[in-house]
Amino acid sequence: MEVEVTLLTRRGAAVMRRSQRISADRVLFGRGTNNDVPLPDIRVELTAAMLSMREHTLVIETQSISPLRVNGRSVPLSLVVPGDEILIGPYRILIAEPPEGCDAALSVELTQAAGDTLVALSGARIGLAGVAIGRRSMSWSAFLIIAAVCLAGPIVVYAVGLVPSWRQAPSRPGIPGLVTLSWNAGQLSNPHRAFAIDCKACHQAAFSAVPDIACLACHGGVGAHAEAHADLGPMHETLAGLRCTNCHEEHRGLEGLVLRESALCLDCHRDLAGTAPGSGVHDVTGFPRGHPQFRATLVADAAKDAFVRRELGTDPPPRDRPGMHFSHAVHLVAGGYPTLGYKQLGCADCHVPDSSRQGFLPVTYDGQCKSCHALKFDRTDLPWPNATVPHGDDSGIVAAVWNYYAGKALQGAASAPTPVPSVERQGAGTPPPAAPSGPPNAETWVREHTEAALRGVVLEPKRGCGYCHFGTGPNGAFEIDKFLPSPMAPTATARVQIVTPVIMETRFLPNARFDHAKHATTACADCHAAQNSQSSGDVLIPGEANCVRCHGAENAALKAQSACITCHVFHRPDFGPMRATAAAAH
Amino acid sequence: MSLSDPLAAVSGASGARSSRHESFLAYGGFRYLKLAAATAVLSLVIYLVDRPYGGRYGGSWAGYVLGTAGALLILWLTWFGYRKRTYAEDHGRLAARLSAHVYLGLSLIVIATLHTGFHFGWNVHTLAYALMCVVIASGTFGVWCYARYPRLMTENRSNQTMQQMLSRIASLNDELRGRAMPLDDATAGLIGRAVEATGIGGSVWRQISGRYPGCTTAAAIAGMDASSAAAGPEHEEDRRQIRVLLDEKANLLGRIRRDISLKAMMEVWLYFHVPFSFALLAALLAHVVSVFFLW
Repeated sequence: MEVEVTLLTRRGAAVMRRSQRISADRVLFGRGTNNDVPLPDIRVELTAAMLSMREHTLVIETQSISPLRVNGRSVPLSLVVPGDEILIGPYRILIAEPPEGCDAALSVELTQAAGDTLVALSGARIGLAGVAIGRRSMSWSAFLIIAAVCLAGPIVVYAVGLVPSWRQAPSRPGIPGLVTLSWNAGQLSNPHRAFAIDCKACHQAAFSAVPDIACLACHGGVGAHAEAHADLGPMHETLAGLRCTNCHEEHRGLEGLVLRESALCLDCHRDLAGTAPGSGVHDVTGFPRGHPQFRATLVADAAKDAFVRRELGTDPPPRDRPGMHFSHAVHLVAGGYPTLGYKQLGCADCHVPDSSRQGFLPVTYDGQCKSCHALKFDRTDLPWPNATVPHGDDSGIVAAVWNYYAGKALQGAASAPTPVPSVERQGAGTPPPAAPSGPPNAETWVREHTEAALRGVVLEPKRGCGYCHFGTGPNGAFEIDKFLPSPMAPTATARVQIVTPVIMETRFLPNARFDHAKHATTACADCHAAQNSQSSGDVLIPGEANCVRCHGAENAALKAQSACITCHVFHRPDFGPMRATAAAAH
Repeated sequence: MSLSDPLAAVSGASGARSSRHESFLAYGGFRYLKLAAATAVLSLVIYLVDRPYGGRYGGSWAGYVLGTAGALLILWLTWFGYRKRTYAEDHGRLAARLSAHVYLGLSLIVIATLHTGFHFGWNVHTLAYALMCVVIASGTFGVWCYARYPRLMTENRSNQTMQQMLSRIASLNDELRGRAMPLDDATAGLIGRAVEATGIGGSVWRQISGRYPGCTTAAAIAGMDASSAAAGPEHEEDRRQIRVLLDEKANLLGRIRRDISLKAMMEVWLYFHVPFSFALLAALLAHVVSVFFLW
């Protein structure tokens, strides 16, 4: 077989040809030097293909494991005619019209040069520019996303009102609620978390402070700090000018809403004697050092409802005038009074805690005294057990005694046998004896016995009412004659008072708030020296020295930390509402 | 710089900057480090002096002072990103700006943390703080890279430039191509792939890690080692030469990849530093607006 092989080399538009003739039965193509048509490229197999003539037809077949690409199709073997294109590696072999004297002609061209390796290497993607996401697009995205979600979002939610008012809203937040929460500047106090999602509940206008009405909508009845009529001078205006948020700041934590620092109170109370001398409040510069001695509110005159404040711990100690005799010592005697059948008394037998357990209920006769001190003035031998006088009803005393003896008279006590009058000689000049009285008058009997009981038992200075009470007369004497100048008649309607009024206080330090429940582990006698108190004039409220045994400054390390608000209250409910609002009116 | 610095005698008289390299960290005798330290101490003093009722927090007067200072500082620091592009007109002040940027940026940690009063929560305010921390951390990493990696790169390159190394690889490839011509198809195919597809550069992960699990050169080495026992003696010299060439190429590739890795590390921190800075700007704007909106 004669084959003309033309090697083509292109340089730009120019084409160089180099032809040679091969005489062989078959033409081998491949990388190896033993091939008839060497294809010197590493991308070609050692022996890639073989061209041969079979029955006047050209056939090309692969000599390696890879198929040939003939006219675009991968085949292991193919008939070829002039015009066919065979690709072996980077070489293109075109079958051409054989010239005179040849059986076949073909051209061989290297179509893909190995290339400039350096250029290829230099074109490698080195450096992050163009490989990573661009910094500029990332920056824009980040800026826009955060500005949309955290700046524009909450503004839109607020302005349009996408979060419904907390009074109508369900408790689940939803997307607008979550967007709005991104602006939450700090932990909300515990009770306010119920409407944490509704900023407008408090922040009622943009770029302006939380107004008082936002707080007063729920807290309208909060008490004032001073009575409206108190003589405070310019301090009234100062107090009226305070805003709630001056002292109560939200978003400061679970307990942040009520400020504990004493310095807040001391800002005014350090110099109150100077700024509001009419208030009667002593200056305070701190606790325990700088706090004035406690002043107990004591009864000055029970009859006139007059009170006075006296410092505790003075020498001589202050005296209370509740208007009655009472000796704690007698009542707390060890062992009680067994002969009378009375067991030993403890504090709790008379002092009953109120429902809050902060203080105590008032001591009353009916509640605490009656069980031992029955007001009997005579033996009870009537069918009804009433030889007792009522407590607290001065006119009723007389009626009770009179009724008792009237009852006894009706039962025949008045009709005692009378002596038979005997004949008696009379000397001259002696008046004749009085005619003997008839049978005794029942009314007189009752009156005589009533008076005897009143004078001798009920209103006797050392028995009866006088055991505990003072009379309205001079030196506490009982003015019995108020009852007795006119004949006693149960129909007497004059309301007389012969026992002076009694005022039994339950709060001796009304400007502070002492919680007995918190001190329940302390024994009563630790603070109240009742065991040895023989007079009701003794003031058993301890002074400051007693408290500072345990309580120290607000940052104390070795004592219980105590701030002003530990014992004192700014908003005093007893002074009426601080602000006049609709909520306060409720 | 020691007192007997020979260059000082040369340049000191004329007042021009010494030509010896002065790290941006040591610029001006650590002038900006001292300034930043003083700023941090001043912030601490302001923080301690104010004792508002209810505890320290961002809304006290100290909080407002520190917050304003921090915000202005953030804006000034971000401005550096623009100013550094105009360094040609600055007559060499870029190093000063960079030194100030780094040290005052670090002082921002103190200022901003004190401004928070150590109160954090799931909100845009803490988001701004967290973004600031990422920016500062990425910047600190950048400083570390710039302080350390140039020397590592120089040592790695062994006095060759990248272009020189690539040229050497290209010539190695050409030589390999020639040497592999008489070898069997399998081996020639391995060498062909090693020449065609040299693994350099690529994705971010490839560049930074320098790991090319499918490295054709390594595969060629492994393939040749595996087939060396079965190979006949006729091309032993060629195979040996090819093996030597492949080893040299592998060594060179290792150095090139390490160089690329170090260079990429010196770039990658900026891909965090800049986007997070803009995120911080947005969060900072939201933070400031919200404070006044919900007064």
